[in-house]
Amino acid sequence: MQCGWLQSGPQLWLSCVHRQVMVKAQGEEHRGWLLTVDPVSRSVVLLDLRAEGASVRVVMGHAVEHVEVLQEADQETLERIRSFFVPQETLSLDP
Amino acid sequence: SIPTSAGADTEQLLEEQHARSVLRERFLRCLLAMSNKKVHFRMHEKVNVEATFGASDIDVLNFQVSDLHTPIGVQKEALIRCHDVISLTFEV
Repeated sequence: MQCGWLQSGPQLWLSCVHRQVMVKAQGEEHRGWLLTVDPVSRSVVLLDLRAEGASVRVVMGHAVEHVEVLQEADQETLERIRSFFVPQETLSLDP
Repeated sequence: SIPTSAGADTEQLLEEQHARSVLRERFLRCLLAMSNKKVHFRMHEKVNVEATFGASDIDVLNFQVSDLHTPIGVQKEALIRCHDVISLTFEV
């Protein structure tokens, strides 16, 4: 999975969402919870949870050299990860 | 953009398109959350700059930013080529 990350498709990327991953880019390693991978630019979005709030890191697709899945999120972490960037409720068009 | 798998059957194609749409929507929401936030860019040659994020074009080739703090001064408005960027971070 790791070495074929760039070639692997959106289905595999989606299956790795919400897991903790390590991304290697230009000699640097970044760890975080995977929020998404842009299917257009292949950019990887990582979430680094803090006591309050979080830091978001976007690693540009062209710089990504290696991605490794480290671990699954526990229930509490999963709920926190899911609480970021949730869409606002769609306005009802009913009168 | 990455082409969908050639020769795949319809069901496979639908699943792949669904995965692409979920991932892309999440990415666009992330870009939305980034607008008007202070963003830290790590660029090639160990250059680090900070700016207020504005928008990205649809293919993620350029970022429009304001108040770009560069080593040689502050640029009020600027476009950053995404290929010059390694990663970017912001707080939520």
